[in-house]
Amino acid sequence: MSDFSLTSREENKVVIIETTGYLNNVGGEKIAELCYKEINNGKNKFLLNLEGSKVVNSIGVSILIEIIEKLQDVDGKLGYYNLAPIVEKTFNIMGLTKYSTVYSSENEGLENMA
Amino acid sequence: MKGWKIWLRPGLAVVEISASDQLNYYLTSLDELGEVLIDSEKSEAVGRGILRLTLGTIMASKGAIFLYKQNNKKLSLLASQGINNTGSFSAPKELIRQTEKYRHSHIDIEPPPKWLTGQLKKDAHEISAKILIPLFHQKHLLGLLCVGKKFMGEAYTEAEIKILEIIANHLTKALYNYELIQNVEEKRNQLNVKLLELETLFDISIAISSVLNMEQLGEEILWRSVGILNASRGMMLIQRKNSPILKVTNEFNWGETSKLISKKLGIFKKIKETSRGEVLSSKDKDPIQKKLGEENIIIAPLQTKENILGYMILCNKETRSGVESFTEIDLELLSALCNQAAVALDNARLFKDITEAKQFNESILGSIATGVITLNPLGEVDSINQAGLNILNKEIDQIIGNHYMFLFEKDPEVIEIIQLAETENQTQTEINLSFKTVSEEAKVNVSAAPRLGPDGTVQGLVLAIEDITDVSKVKNTFKRYVSKQVVDELLDDDAKLNLGGEEREVTILFSDIRGFTNMSEKMNPEDVVTTLNEYFSEMIDIVFKYNGTLDKIIGDELMIVYGAPISNEDDTERAVKTAVEMQNKIFELNKSRKKKKKKPIEVGMGINRGIVVSGNIGSRDMMDYTVIGDTVNLGARLCSAAGPGEILVSSSVWKETQKQHKYKKLDPILVKGKKDKIAIYSVKNK
Repeated sequence: MSDFSLTSREENKVVIIETTGYLNNVGGEKIAELCYKEINNGKNKFLLNLEGSKVVNSIGVSILIEIIEKLQDVDGKLGYYNLAPIVEKTFNIMGLTKYSTVYSSENEGLENMA
Repeated sequence: MKGWKIWLRPGLAVVEISASDQLNYYLTSLDELGEVLIDSEKSEAVGRGILRLTLGTIMASKGAIFLYKQNNKKLSLLASQGINNTGSFSAPKELIRQTEKYRHSHIDIEPPPKWLTGQLKKDAHEISAKILIPLFHQKHLLGLLCVGKKFMGEAYTEAEIKILEIIANHLTKALYNYELIQNVEEKRNQLNVKLLELETLFDISIAISSVLNMEQLGEEILWRSVGILNASRGMMLIQRKNSPILKVTNEFNWGETSKLISKKLGIFKKIKETSRGEVLSSKDKDPIQKKLGEENIIIAPLQTKENILGYMILCNKETRSGVESFTEIDLELLSALCNQAAVALDNARLFKDITEAKQFNESILGSIATGVITLNPLGEVDSINQAGLNILNKEIDQIIGNHYMFLFEKDPEVIEIIQLAETENQTQTEINLSFKTVSEEAKVNVSAAPRLGPDGTVQGLVLAIEDITDVSKVKNTFKRYVSKQVVDELLDDDAKLNLGGEEREVTILFSDIRGFTNMSEKMNPEDVVTTLNEYFSEMIDIVFKYNGTLDKIIGDELMIVYGAPISNEDDTERAVKTAVEMQNKIFELNKSRKKKKKKPIEVGMGINRGIVVSGNIGSRDMMDYTVIGDTVNLGARLCSAAGPGEILVSSSVWKETQKQHKYKKLDPILVKGKKDKIAIYSVKNK
């Protein structure tokens, strides 16, 4: 697993972000940067595909929490799918899943968020 | 209480507001304050709400609420109107001492008092601050409420200052509550992190028993360690036998750079000596920092009871504001993870070793011709090699799990060997056993040995079965014709055994009892058989003594070949020796017969040497190994020509053996099938 990268696209007014690499400070900041830019453009629903990010640290989690707080201000939502078991466990333990949702697939995420 | 003057619009008349309206307004403000306090879960939102309400209530346009952190004595803006400064800054040195006397009141800061210094002074100036209210909860300063000048520069009334102090009191309580909540949040977060650490340790302990692939296991442990310690990258290094370079088995977020890290580096020696990991920071100047190009490094040994398997190296503990050095607490956690990892890796390594050893043993067992069967302590077959299956002529499903009593029920001798090995706890061997488990003809050598565990206890038996059926067949086939020595020689070296048709030079001995037909006519049949058996038995013993091949017994005639199927330099010499000893033996036999008043046996013999065709000759159903050709015929003619007790040899035999034996040259004779007379010699055998 090497440097963090991401791509994004939009479906049914949901911004889908696909990541590759370590979801740490660097990775988290890149996600946040994209989310805040899209929030300023009026978007408020984000779905993260974390299939390519098998490792996450608590700094990455804290940045996701910041994004969730920002989204609460604009009545938005954050969801995830394709989570590695270790990542899902981390999200659960760190309390992330109280304010955001883990979906089993992109379709399920889009159906529930759109 | 004086009333308010309200300017409805610039240039318009001033409107006086009554004291009751003013009181009503303040009460409304306090009511709104209550709502603001419970409206939001976030301190920033509450701060902004309170500041707006405060400034609105006292008719001010600028103001700020600062938070004070006791641990670092820094101030930061919670909310402001009119200040652009963000971030935290150091509080004036005299702040606590100068404000604690105003715990329940306000400070007039116009002009600014001397103790008001630094960023706080600048911020106060920016909003033209007139009043500062310290927000004390008991003895602890939680923050400051700072308000600028009143609208149109008017002085604040006593009522306004009073209401300001009331609002400040509420704000203090709100801040205290938020500080409590924040502390709880921090504690909860710390607990979550601890829970995550424990879960990680638990997960790795699960992985120990479920993952036996070393690379996969190493990756799992490294990834978990990197994530849980907020490291930016990491690698796992394993020690290799006979190499000073540590092998990088797993790495995370390290890119493609190759790393040659020697286990002789001082840091590894230190870890080995102390059996404890190391934390390196920018204060340290260890060579490994230069080697890895990182300052903040944590290294923990992957340590089992006996030795250090390798090391886990993580770099750069991440924070939101950059990286910092790892702590001793981090080292404790990483050491715990590495201890688990070492056990797991050791298990995986042992599993790999065992698997390889098993494959090695199986490949050996699979390649040998001896059948090897292992029996468990209950006597059931738990493994068998391919040779074993071939010998037993069975599929593996028919064998595994079977008890030996059933498997070898037709062979009590085999069962007896197994039971003896069990009871005596010693290896038992039997050779040349009939093996009816396979067939009536099958012959085997069987060996049963106790199978011992590491602690010396018997864990069953190993049974080795060598199929010697073919060997027995060869022996049985040839033992009628040749001596045991020749059979063994043939079995030892297949190359000597050429049973196909070929031309070869052999020496042939014929013997024939003179006048046996007439003699037998005067004997009863039983005596004929007894006489022949006695005669042949003695003769054949001598034939085999000199490694002759008994080619044929036709009536009272013997045909013996020397040089087939195995050639030797002294073939002819042995043939002559055989003939001489046979005549001597007949002389002895006749002495005995004479005593029994039986007629003597008189035998003539002929020996010839020359080229013959040898091989298995006959039909598909009846085939014998023999020799044919003129050489054979001449040998038979010489035998016919020999008188009683006489051994006649051809010139080819005489030439080879004239030095070892005494010969008498006889007149050449004419034999059937030859135009010219041939030279003959008689052996002087006495």
